[in-house]
Amino acid sequence: MLNRRDVLQKCIALGAVSIASQFSAEEMLAAFQESEKQPRKPTPPNTMGPFYKRLVPVNDVLRAPGDSGIPLNLSGQVFDTRGDIVPGAIIEIWQTNHKGYYDLEGYRYRGKVNVNKSGAYSFESVIPGHYPDKSRICQHIHYAVVSPGHKPLVTQLYFATDPVFDGDPAKNYSRDPLLQTPELIRPVILTGDPSEVHAKVRFELCLERL
Amino acid sequence: MRPNIAVFLLFFSMSITVLAQSARQEKAITLPAGVSVDIASASVSPTGNLVAAICSDDMLRIWSAQSGELVRSLKANTGAHSAVQFSGDGRLLAVAYEIVAYEKGTIQVFDVDSWKLEDDLTSLPLYAVIFSPDSRRLSDAGDLGTEIWDLKAQKKVASMSPPFGGSAALAFSPDGRWVATADQDTFVRVYDASTGNLHSSLQGSLLEPAAVAFAAGGKSLVVGRVDKTVSIIDPDAGKVIRALPKQPGLIWSIDVAADGKRAVIGYNSAEGFSDIHHLTLWDLDKGTVLADFQKPGIIVTGGTFVGDHYLFLAASGNQLTLWSLP
Repeated sequence: MLNRRDVLQKCIALGAVSIASQFSAEEMLAAFQESEKQPRKPTPPNTMGPFYKRLVPVNDVLRAPGDSGIPLNLSGQVFDTRGDIVPGAIIEIWQTNHKGYYDLEGYRYRGKVNVNKSGAYSFESVIPGHYPDKSRICQHIHYAVVSPGHKPLVTQLYFATDPVFDGDPAKNYSRDPLLQTPELIRPVILTGDPSEVHAKVRFELCLERL
Repeated sequence: MRPNIAVFLLFFSMSITVLAQSARQEKAITLPAGVSVDIASASVSPTGNLVAAICSDDMLRIWSAQSGELVRSLKANTGAHSAVQFSGDGRLLAVAYEIVAYEKGTIQVFDVDSWKLEDDLTSLPLYAVIFSPDSRRLSDAGDLGTEIWDLKAQKKVASMSPPFGGSAALAFSPDGRWVATADQDTFVRVYDASTGNLHSSLQGSLLEPAAVAFAAGGKSLVVGRVDKTVSIIDPDAGKVIRALPKQPGLIWSIDVAADGKRAVIGYNSAEGFSDIHHLTLWDLDKGTVLADFQKPGIIVTGGTFVGDHYLFLAASGNQLTLWSLP
C-alpha cells in the first residue's frame, strides 16, 4: 500500500500535480501534505474490563478454520491528534467467541500487531457474542494501544448491528451501561454472498501525544 | 486405614452443606417498588448497624440494619453514584460520583451521625474507595489508576497508575503504611501510602487480579484473580508464598477478618458477571474451606466482618437481606 507521500510523488510523475515554485518538489510536497492534515479528536477511552491477558502472541488471524460465527475483518489506521500517522503503535485486542465466552486458558480471540508504516492494522476474527448472563453489555472488542510518546489508549469497539441498539446507535447507545458515547459504535459492511456472509468494520484510532 | 476417596468426598460435601445451612438470615430490607441494587455497590457498616447501597434509580439509600427502616437517601446531584464505603470505625461514609466518564469524579465524605459533609474531593472517576484503618486517609481506584487522599488536609497525597489500564481493587495494610492495588495490566503493586512510591510489584499470573486484601497483620497479601486462583503474597518481596485450592468461579471480592486468619472470598460464575455469586469462608493458614454459601436466585452484593462473624448482603427479588456466616 502506498503512503500519502508515495501517492503525491506518483502524481508528479504522471503529471497530475505540477510544481510551479522556486522551492523543491520535496519541500512543496511536504508542505502540501502538512496542510492536508486534519486535527483529530482522540478516540474515547472505555473500560479495560477484567479479562485482559498478558503476553499475547503477535497474531492478526484470530479466526481458525471452521470457527462458528460471522467472519469479521477488522481494520483501521492509527493517528495522533495532529493528524499524523503513528507507525510504531502496538495494538492488542481481545474479545469473546461468538457465544460470548472469553478464552481464559489460552489465547483464542486474542491478538497483537505492530502497525505498519502507514499506521494501518487489520485482524481476521469473528463478530463476538453477547455475554451469556443476559446483561445489556453489547458485543464488543477490547483494544489496548501503546506507542512511545503517546498516551496509552484503552477502549472498546462496538457494532452498529448489535440488536441492543435497535438500529439507532446514536439514540440508544446508553442502553449499554458501559458506553458513554456513540463514537465507539462502528458501521458494519457485509460482504461475500448469502451462503457465506462476511463482515468488515473499520475502526480508526487516534492517540493523544504526551 | 485411609478412607477411600468416595468416603472423603461424601464427608466433604456433607460438611459444606451443613455449614451452608448454618448461614443465617438476620434482617430483611424491602426496596422501593421498581428499584434494584447495583451488585457491585453496597457496603455494610463495620458495626453492622447500617447498610448503604447505590440503587438503580441512582439514589444512594442508607438503612438501619436493625429495623430495616430507611435512614437517609441521597440524590446524585453532581453526577452518577459510582462507589460507597463506610470507614473502619463506622463514623464516616464515602460516596463517590462520576462527573465526566474517564475524566473526572468526586468523593464526598459524610459524618454518619450528623450527615454533615466533611470532605468534598475532586478525584478521578472511580469504582472502589476505601478508608485507611485510622480513617484519616482515603484511597480510590478506577480505570485511570489510584489516588491517596489526606482527609484532614483535604489534599491528594499521591496518584499512581499502571503503564496502561487502571486498578480494579485496592487495600490498605492494617498499619496504614501500604496501599496494595490489583491492576488491570495483571500486576499487583504495593505503594507507600504516604508518598505513593512503589514498594513492590508482582505479576504472578497472566490474567487480571480482581480482589486484594492484607492478612496476617500486614505480613501477607491475599490476591484473587480472574483465573480463579487465590494467592498469598509477601507484600515486601512481591513473591507468591502459596496458593489456595482453585475453586470453580472467578474471584470478585476478598475480605480478611481482623484476626488475619480467615477470609471470605466472593466468586462469580464463569458464565457471566450477574449470574451466580457465592461466598466461601476460608481458613487461610490451613488453606481449607470452612463454609460455603450458595443459593439459587440470590445475588451477593457486599459484606464485612463484624467481630467473629461475617455479614453479607444478598439481593433477592425486591429485598436486600442481611446474612451472617458462622
